[in-house]
Formats: sequence, structure tokens, C-alpha cells
Amino acid sequence: MQPFSYMRAGTVDDALAALSQDARILAGGTTLYDLMKLGVEAPQRVVDIARLPLRDIRLEDNVLVLGAGVRMSAAAEHPDVGSSAPALSEALWRAASQQLRNMAALGGNLLQRTRCSYFRHGAPYACNKREPGSGCAAQDGLSRHHALLGGSEHCIAAYPGDFAVALAAFDAEVEITGPSGARLMPLVDLHREPGSEPQRDTNLRPTELITAIRVPLVRAARASTYHKIRDRESYAFALVSAAVGLEVEGSIVVDARVALGGVATRPWRSREAEQVLIGRSFSEGRAREAGIAAFSSARPTGHNAFKIELGARAVTDALMIASTRS
Amino acid sequence: MANFPNIERVDARAKVTGAPIYGADRTTPLHALLAVSTVTKGRLAAIDTARARAVPGIRLVATHEDLADLTSPGFLLSGGYGFQSFAPMLSDAIVHRGQPIALLVADTLEAAAEAASLVEAAYVEVPFSSKINSTGATIIPQAQSPLPQQIFRDTIAGDAAGAFGAAATTVDVTFHNPPQHQNPIELVATVAEWDGDDLTIHEGTQNSGALKFGIARMFGIEPDRVTVISPQVGGGFGQKNSLQMQTALVAWAARRLGAPVKMVVPRSQLFGNASFRPESRHRVRLGADAEGRLTAALYDVDAQSSRHDLFPLDYTNPAARLYGIPNFQGFQRIVQTDVQTPGYMRAPFEHMATFALDTAVDEMAAALGRDPVEYRMALDTDRDPVTGLPFSSRFLNACLSRGAEMFGWTGRNPEPRSMRAADGQLVGMGVGCGCYKAATAPAAASLRLDADGRVSVAVGVHEMGQGIRTALANAVAARLGVHPSAVSAVIGDTRGVPQHTTAGSWGTATAVPAVVEAADKLLEELGPDPLAAMARRGLESYETRIERRAPGQPEEPARALHVGRPAPWGPVYGEFVGFSYIAHFAEVLVEPSTCRIRVPRIVSVVDCGQVVSPRTAESQVKGGVVWGIGAALREATEVDERYGGFLNTDIAEYVIPVNADIGRNEVAFINEPDPRISASGVKGLGEVVMTGVAAAIANATWHATGRRLRDLPIRPEHLL
Repeated sequence: MQPFSYMRAGTVDDALAALSQDARILAGGTTLYDLMKLGVEAPQRVVDIARLPLRDIRLEDNVLVLGAGVRMSAAAEHPDVGSSAPALSEALWRAASQQLRNMAALGGNLLQRTRCSYFRHGAPYACNKREPGSGCAAQDGLSRHHALLGGSEHCIAAYPGDFAVALAAFDAEVEITGPSGARLMPLVDLHREPGSEPQRDTNLRPTELITAIRVPLVRAARASTYHKIRDRESYAFALVSAAVGLEVEGSIVVDARVALGGVATRPWRSREAEQVLIGRSFSEGRAREAGIAAFSSARPTGHNAFKIELGARAVTDALMIASTRS
Repeated sequence: MANFPNIERVDARAKVTGAPIYGADRTTPLHALLAVSTVTKGRLAAIDTARARAVPGIRLVATHEDLADLTSPGFLLSGGYGFQSFAPMLSDAIVHRGQPIALLVADTLEAAAEAASLVEAAYVEVPFSSKINSTGATIIPQAQSPLPQQIFRDTIAGDAAGAFGAAATTVDVTFHNPPQHQNPIELVATVAEWDGDDLTIHEGTQNSGALKFGIARMFGIEPDRVTVISPQVGGGFGQKNSLQMQTALVAWAARRLGAPVKMVVPRSQLFGNASFRPESRHRVRLGADAEGRLTAALYDVDAQSSRHDLFPLDYTNPAARLYGIPNFQGFQRIVQTDVQTPGYMRAPFEHMATFALDTAVDEMAAALGRDPVEYRMALDTDRDPVTGLPFSSRFLNACLSRGAEMFGWTGRNPEPRSMRAADGQLVGMGVGCGCYKAATAPAAASLRLDADGRVSVAVGVHEMGQGIRTALANAVAARLGVHPSAVSAVIGDTRGVPQHTTAGSWGTATAVPAVVEAADKLLEELGPDPLAAMARRGLESYETRIERRAPGQPEEPARALHVGRPAPWGPVYGEFVGFSYIAHFAEVLVEPSTCRIRVPRIVSVVDCGQVVSPRTAESQVKGGVVWGIGAALREATEVDERYGGFLNTDIAEYVIPVNADIGRNEVAFINEPDPRISASGVKGLGEVVMTGVAAAIANATWHATGRRLRDLPIRPEHLL
């Protein structure tokens, strides 16, 4: 581990003043320390924001506002989160372990870096995200955990998180503060597809800080679920996950939300699946049709083609669960 | 023999309060780490350590150019002490990815890590083979290998090919298992300290004797100069059964620097630097006659070894002892690939042998329209089909009938896909049987009784979580009529009696008869009330010492005990053949849509002879069943053939079960002493518990889904 300087920020302004290209923000530390020990992250400076007053959870009109420093466990357990948007609470519960959820902050969780083995384990594996220009070992490699959606010839690393997938389904926004003030960014614009620059995970500038997450509490959020299929019952990343919400009037779907995790390079909102549902009557067959549509543009590699079918079934099951809540 | 009381673990409170000191718990002024090869095969062309040497706090940087005065310890399975014959850093050769190329010692762990990351190596690479199917992998039939054929010949009984040809019903199926790693929670670690010419090593090991003698060989010093202390092992599972690659490097650095040095090998490095369960492929052909009697089994195995060692295969011996199949033909081939030498991981051969054979038997039962439990019970035998000798004891049918009753087997609809849970999940019920050799080893034991009634025993065995201290206390307490809490044990410590490797499920069956014999000797010498006799003689303490061999074991092989070499005996004991048996009944739930497999319940009934420590024995069974679930449904070490070595080198990516994966596990023991193995009647337990679990789960999955899945681990994508 290379030496680095450590600075604990007392205020948001302190933190912003300390941020630079070579700095990394430390919140819960559950990802950053891990990657530093692996040698994948080697910041010159670490700016600790754990003491910043970003731990509020509140309702503003019909918007759920979650401070970026809120611990995952605190958000998961918060009654306003569970009742107004069960998909959010479930996404948090089904992520990591209780110990990690007690440490990890929501803002940091959004920015969790990929679990691609070729990215994490360093030399000799080629990885454009870790070492731009070195290639992508995953394309012809062991790609069971890699993306079928949103990849490029330079990178197919899957976005690993759960919470951001649920947020993507419900038009959440992130509050960002930087040297030129605050701005709001749609969650779906926070993460980048790799394209030709896989080293850039997000559209956040190095001098910016996420301060809060805003979730409009639409009716579909109340009838929502986060359905996660993984290699064991707990403490595993998604093979595929689906965050869905439904608003049904009579038998007609008036609003449908579908987002996918574990199968895409970023939190993946599936408008294709939603379009199958909206304005039509709901049935298991329709749910299945939506599940198939969600993967219509999937591009599998050697070891992940099964997720087209598994994913379609997961979306179908998730919609059936949500339909019992609407 | 009366049943032993169900006492709590004698070290339970100590363990939960963190009192026991493990090897790496010791603090040292110096910390060592390794830089490892990023290529799989070839040689080091150049190694540049200038940047590593410039790290503040670095005290020593060593490469193969510095260590050439050490000697290889040799391979445990061919006269040596090491987990493999190849000792790293004695030359510029690279024979597997992850092998050490530089040793870094610093004042802090962080400085050592920083220095390790700055070692720059250039390699000359040559082509390599990583998997048993890879181009360039060398296939060697074991029967034609240089391995000693009296031990490692293929298992043959009768004329299997002829009987198979004449069979009315046949099954011909192939199974596959990926490499898997033991992943004990306690990492492999060494603390080495010199006092003049005397070396003390603190290390969690299953084999302190091999460390003592192996290190002596590597350094060319007298074994008397080396002390190894290993009172606790935080899980071994076969990975710590011999001399590891780092021990000599740490000792060398400690001598060079004149101060104690510690190294904890990171888990990511252990995937490429310690033994593992090799990749294997298994073809089973079964033939039954017109009445459905199983007349023939042909069992072909290909299993991975390294280029530099022939890791001997022993799959066919247990497979031939599971049932009374009169004609059996084993054919084992060693496939040499460019990895570190694989080795013994819990039920090293028996897990896959029983998975393959017992799944095939399940398929035969289905083909014949027979009930899986009834069919297995019809295959019972009291004589070993291979040697014709009687089994020392065998209660597999009792395990099956008792397990069927506990499980509620009569509620099973025999038709696949016929049972559903209230929530629509497919229900499957399956049975799987397993066996494991009842081997034992020679042991020396001493026992000291103090006037205050306290008893101290020393015996050759290691505590690696299984609860051997509790078994020793229970056995000695029963013999001497004292409370188990009065008995303490000095084990895993070469300052006491000779230490033999604790592996192969022979630990309890070896150590308990030894301490009982020492207790009996004390009673013989002092009479039935030894404390009164000591008071009469004015003695503060009284000590006895015994040494014993396995039943029928000649003196010569038993002598290996005294030089740190393996000396196990059995399961063929001349007059009889000894095996432990188990039957597992598994219930699985399979989600019809996403095909997730859950295991809400497993019932396990064990024939391990006399149970000496009921509580820790039950824990052993549960641990083995959990591992069986992991082996069947979760665990795989992944290999990317372009790079060699192993890819998913941490326990986030190497998926083992979590608590939420484990449902109810009910355990029962037949608890019939096996008087032929020893007066204590103990067979083995630690490994038989894992055998047959994967078969039970695969057979239950078939019952739930109608699909036979023969490649482990079974995953949702195999059922979609």
C-alpha cells in the first residue's frame, strides 16, 4: 500500500477544498480500503467525510430525501423508506452483510466499483478500467458475472450495486456539490457506460461530492419490490436483479418501473419492459413478455447467456410480487 | 462400553472469549510478506528489487539468489515433508502462478506490503496447461506410474468388464468437479524465532512433526534444534497437513535478521500457494442382472496433479467399499498440469467418489423402478468385496433405516416432479450414502496425575476445531474416574511426545486409545485408587508413558512417527477392513421460475464406532454437512486457461455457504463400538460426515425436477 495523506473534513466546504484529481473520498470505507489493499486504488490523498452532517432521512412533500452519509442499515430500517418504497429497503437489505451495511454510506454505495475479477485482482489480467489501454480480459474470459447490457469492446464489467438499481427505477436524483455550487443529476445519468473510457465510472467530477439522494414517491414506488437472484441466500452480488414497481388502475397498468442489476454496466432502466406493460392489462403472461423485452438488446459473452432467460424470469417474478402490493 | 456423557467443549469458554493463542496472534518486531509470480511457467529473467529496498522501514529483501543454501523438504507423499516437492526461491524456475519470487521483511506490515508491490520481475514464459482437458496436460495411468503399486494400484474385484457386458440394465454416467480450496478462516502463518542455534516455530498446523523434521532438512540442521508449537489450528481441512512454502522463508529471515519474524500469508496468495482439491472427472458404469442385483461397477477417474509431483489418487478404494458390488474395476489417471501440487481437502477422494458412485446407484434404482433406500439396503455386505475380508463393523443399513424414519421417507412420492410446497416450490427428497476409511496411526502418549487430582496428557494429535481436547478429557476422565475438567492436554507441540499428522480422520481413533492405554497403565501400576496410592507413597505426581501402533501394524512403518513422516495404517488391517459409514437424507426446494435450490433439511445418521465426545461429534457432522452443501451447490475455484493459476482468489468470489443457506440438520449416531479397530471402539468421523451429502442433494434435485445434474457445483443455470 503506498503512503497517502489523510484529511478529515469537518464541513462540506472543507471536503470540497481538499478534493482533487488525486484524492478519493472516504465515507464508510467498505469499498475504498478494499481496493487500496488490492492495489487497484492508490490515492495520494484520502478525504474522510464520515463526520459531515449528511445523515438525515426526511420527507419533503412527496420526495424522500436521504443524506449521502446515511448508513445503508439505517436507511434499510427506516420506516418511511420501507413503507413508501419497499424496493429501496429491500435493495439495501439484500446488499452485502449486516456488518458492511452498518459501515457503508449511501453515497459511497452508489459509487461502489465493479466486482469484475480481472479488475480487482491486478496483474497479469488485462483491464481497461484499471489500466487504460491494457485490454479487457473479460470479453473472452470467465464472464459469468459480467454485463450483457451497456458494455463495449473495451469493458463489460457489471455495475455491482443494488440500491442504485432501485433508485434508477424511480427517477431518483442525486444532489451534488462542487466548487461552482450545487446541482441535481438524475441517478440514471450518474453512472457511465464504459464506451472507450472504462476508467471513468461516473459523470461526477473529481472535485464534486454527493450530498443527498432524492426519490419522488410515486404510487408505483409503494407497490414495488427488489428481487435479487444470487449464488447464495445472503452476502453475494446479484446474478441478476430486478427493481420493479407497478401502478394498476382496474386491471390496466398506468405506471410501470423496471430496472435491472447484475447484468449491465450501470444501473439499467428498462424502458422496453415498461412499454410492454403500460396501458395494458396486467397478467403473468404480460409480465413474462416484459421480462423478455428487458433483455431484448442483451449481448451475452461466453459464460453469461443463461442470464437472458434467468433475467426474464426474475423480472416476471418481481412483477408478480409487485402486483400483489398494488 | 458405556456411552460417554454429553459434556460441553472443554475449551468452549476460552474459544468464545478469545483466550486461545493461535500462531499469528504472537506479536513480533518484524513482518514478512511475499511477492509472487504473475506468470505460470518459465523462469525469472530478471528481478529488480531496488524500489522495494528503498521503502522506509524495509529490513530485508531476498530472492532466489540469496536462498540457494536451502534444500527442498521433499514431497510428503514421496519421502519428504512438504505439500509439494517444489520449494520456491531456490532457483529461477517458475512452475506455477503465484509462487513466491521475493521475500520482504519490514518493521511494519504496511511497509512489507508496499515493498512487495514494488518488486519488478521479468520472465521468460513457456506454454502451460491449467485444466485436465487443456492441451499439453500429461495423462499418466496410476498403475503405470512410478508410485508404489502395492499401495496405489487400481482397485479390482472379480471381472467387472465381463459382468457389465452381461448386465440386463446398465448406467453409464460422467461427473465433473472443479478445483476447490479449503479456505480455513485461520490463514497459513508462521512466527519464527531463533535462540542461538535453536529455532522455535509457532504455526497453526495439522503436522507439527513434519514442520520440525522438514525445516531441519531444509536448513541441514539437527531436528533436535527445531521446536514447533501449534496448540490450536483455526481450521486445517488438509491445507495445513504438511510443511508449507513460507515456513522456511520466515525462519531464514529470522536467522538473518536476528529477531523474530511473522508472516501471515494473504488468502489471495494461498489460492496459488497451498494445496487444494484438484479438478476431477469421474465415469461410472454400473450393471445389474435381471433381478436388479448390482453385479458390476467400472469407475474411471481423471484427477489433476502438478508437473513436479504425482499426487496419488485413492478414489476407487472407498467407492468399492460403499456397497457389496462383487465385480469392481477402478481405473485412475493422474493428469499433470502446471499448478502447485493439489492435496487433501476434507474427504479428498471420498467426497467425489461417493458423489459419483451413489448418484449412479440412484440412477440405477430409478431405472429399475426401485425405492432408493430399499435398493441401497439390498446392496449391503458384511465382507469387503475387494479383499474378501470381513468389515470390522458396518452399520450402513442401520443408518439408512434410522435416517429414513427420522426424515419421514415414507411420505415421499417416488415420481419425480410430483411434490410441491404450499408456495409452489418443487420439493425433492433424496438419499446419499458415504464412507471413509477407518485408518489409525501409531502414537506415543504420556499421562501425569498430580496429587491434587489434576491430570495432564500429552499425545500426538492437533486441535483444529474438531474438539479433540474434549474427546481426550472425556476418555481419560471416564477411565480414571475424575471430572473431565480436571484433564488438560498438551498437543500439537513437539516438546512433548512425537507429533504425527492429524488428518485422514485418524486423529481421535489414534489419540484416544493412546491416552486410555496410558491411563490403564497408571491404574495397573498404582491400583484402582491411584491418588490414595500416591498419598501412601508420598508422591506429588505420577507419570506413565506408552507407545502403541495401529492394529497389526509392523514396527518398521510405525517408526515414521519418530521422524515426522506419515505412518497411518488401514483400512485393510490384515484380518479385517475398517470403514466409517453415513447416510444423509436431503430435502430440497427448487423455485420453478429462477431455479434456485434451497436445502431446508438434512438428516444424517453416522456409523463412526464409539462416540467419545457427543457434543463435538455432532458439531463435526453439522460442519461436514454444511461443507457438503457448499461443495454440491456453491464452491468452485475458477481457472482462466489463458492466464493459468486461479481467478476468484478471495472468499467474496469463492462462494461458500452463509448461515441463510443452511436449514435444519438433524444428526444421529449408531454409536456401536468397533472393537476390532481398538479397545476404545472409535472409527473416524471428521471426513465421512461430508461424504454422500452431494449425492443426497443431487438425488433430491432430480426428484424435485426430473433432471440429473452430474457436474458440481449445481447452479440455477443448469436447471433453466
